[in-house]
Amino acid sequence: MSQELTRMLDTLTKDIAGAKVTLKRARRMRIDVDADALPALLELLQGRGSYVHLSAISCVDWIDDNQFELVYHVWSYESNSLVSAHTRIPRDPGVYLSIYDLYKPAAFFERDIHEMFGLYFEGSPSMEKFILTEWEGPPPMRKDFDAEAWVRDTFTERDYNPEWLKELTDAGGGIAIRPQDIRK
Amino acid sequence: MIKDIPIIAEQAQQPRRTNPLAHVFDELMNFARSRSLFMLHYCTGCGAIELPPAMTSRFDMERLGIQPMVTPRQADILLVTGYVSIKTLKRIILTYEQMGSPKHVIGICSCTVNGGMYWQSYATAKKLDEYLPVDLYIAGCMPRPEAVISGLQKLIDNIKHGKSDNWKDYYQRYDHYLGNQQHLFGNNWQTPTDVIGEAREYGLFGPQTLGQHTELLESVQKPLQPLEMKL
Ligand code: SF4
Repeated sequence: MSQELTRMLDTLTKDIAGAKVTLKRARRMRIDVDADALPALLELLQGRGSYVHLSAISCVDWIDDNQFELVYHVWSYESNSLVSAHTRIPRDPGVYLSIYDLYKPAAFFERDIHEMFGLYFEGSPSMEKFILTEWEGPPPMRKDFDAEAWVRDTFTERDYNPEWLKELTDAGGGIAIRPQDIRK
Repeated sequence: MIKDIPIIAEQAQQPRRTNPLAHVFDELMNFARSRSLFMLHYCTGCGAIELPPAMTSRFDMERLGIQPMVTPRQADILLVTGYVSIKTLKRIILTYEQMGSPKHVIGICSCTVNGGMYWQSYATAKKLDEYLPVDLYIAGCMPRPEAVISGLQKLIDNIKHGKSDNWKDYYQRYDHYLGNQQHLFGNNWQTPTDVIGEAREYGLFGPQTLGQHTELLESVQKPLQPLEMKL
């Protein structure tokens, strides 16, 4: 079954330059593809390969390579298999094509990625704020956003040895090992 | 680990009481109050999972006289169960200010104490008592229903002995709380409740009710407009 699936995908993608099909597990395939060929690949997968359900789009920030990786997970109800199409785009300027015309749910995923990574999708119906409506800072999932430093600037740390804890610690309760000793 | 947080502000001037039986009534009222508490549980985080067993037949908090309540205006206890994201914190403050006094805040879970496992998250507020006067923390990730029940018992005890009046602190040191809220939410932060007016009304207007943060609030405050009625 898996053999057939890979063979089918191989035939399907033979016209797409640079597409590479790997079988990860039974009924789970990975296709690496160039950024300009990805919409064509998804169109083939949807139209000819019965992969009609877009489960998610995920994004990975490869800051050392100066690239974003986009992963499109599509599912087929006929062969009950999942294909993940991986592609990489340059981190600057971070603009890519929307696949909203192929898969309608992409609108939400792209809006989410835009909010979390600052990636812009051309042709997506809305690039408004989605969940972080009250967040003013940079896109928080980018690797160059240092959440810990932001927290240190914004909040003060709880005092671990307050007066009132003394009687509890004297009685054997409270914090036995201080957090700073654990991290050492 | 349960501990009540001391009030820092000094007591505002109270009107002199002439009735010799006043403290008897006080004790009676405190007793009655401690035995009939309505609880608004604002289930923000995962800690809320421990509430159903604490409420229902196994641990049964109703035997302590504590019942869930549906609206903030009728509730005595605000139970914040778990991590509070900054967006949620705004709603919690709105809810808290709508509750009628006397009111008590309980922070369940480590996340309300110091951020818990979200200590380095950009999205969650760390210390609940910077923004609201917390009466009691029940620490743990998450605390078992036994801990919740014992925490509530502690609160009942405190109320009975007239010790649990941190809600007065919100009026007496409003400037401090407002300052922390503005620090997190930006300078345009305002709530529909007139806390300063309420402080005057309750006779809880203290020297730290007003300050630089309330001045800032006054300069940005937009008067509330009545909602337009449309059919
Ligand atoms: S303390 Fe633990 S259980 Fe409670 S809200 Fe935080 S992560 Fe969840």
